[in-house]
Amino acid sequence: MGWWSNLRQRCQTCSRVTLGAGVILGTLAIAFVMLTAGAYGLAWTNTEEFCIGCHEMRDNVYAEFKGTIHDKNRSGVRAICANCHVPHEPVALIVRKMQASFEVWGHLTGKIDTKEKFAKHRYEMAVKEWTRMKKNGSQECRNCHHFEAMEPEKQTEKARARHAKAQAQGTPCIDCHFGIAHNEPDGPGPQELKIAN
Amino acid sequence: MRAAWMLTALAVLALPVAAQAQDVAAAEALIKKSGCMKCHSVSAKKEGPSFKETAAKYKGKPDAQGALFKHLTTNPKIKVDGNEEMHDSLKTKNEAEIKNAIAYILSR
Repeated sequence: MGWWSNLRQRCQTCSRVTLGAGVILGTLAIAFVMLTAGAYGLAWTNTEEFCIGCHEMRDNVYAEFKGTIHDKNRSGVRAICANCHVPHEPVALIVRKMQASFEVWGHLTGKIDTKEKFAKHRYEMAVKEWTRMKKNGSQECRNCHHFEAMEPEKQTEKARARHAKAQAQGTPCIDCHFGIAHNEPDGPGPQELKIAN
Repeated sequence: MRAAWMLTALAVLALPVAAQAQDVAAAEALIKKSGCMKCHSVSAKKEGPSFKETAAKYKGKPDAQGALFKHLTTNPKIKVDGNEEMHDSLKTKNEAEIKNAIAYILSR
């Protein structure tokens, strides 16, 4: 407890209680500032502005997303990048953010900094995201789209049959609804991916 | 006279090209508008066969165009998951647009 005696020596007129309370309050204040800054920082990395801050996203996947149903629709409700690509659950969110920090390395080394390079890596990037969405049962889709809230009679006959089957079998949304916001990569789709649980 | 000959020669040469020519963007737009991508994909497996599968199936077959034209305009009965369903038609009556979409599918 070297720091404690050091503190007491520095303020000999302070009582032990005052000093103790000061230390606790100070720690709480620092923790509060750090937590707020952290939460603010995390929220900032979830904004559309942040995501399209690099041209790799802005000129490719974001350009493709523009005009799709999740960008523009009759009711004006939008799903931005983070709504589909960042988990909402705290632990999964932090894990994904950690992985994303490695993606910054890809940005710095110019892994996908031209259209050609992006095209070359598109399939591998899509498979990563499809795998994640298959493993979590397409949780990010289901944060907004709930089977229970769907009105089957408002769906086409075909959609109704497919959704009933998907719900019964627990099929993840991404198995059928892929390539809806970005161009579809060339190669086998989510249904053909073998995912080890 | 020479000009007329040259024009005829050009027209003859251009014919096969014209038959194959396709407006990819228009084909993709029509296919999307018609809801094809709900069951089909260019290269991935979905309820229906991928366009690549279809292209491979009809490769070298002289009746490819005709077979697809019928398939995409007459709502034939198809089997999905063991159940009989009606296949949707392309959402246009314009023959050139339909043929363009067929050429697009067959060249995947």
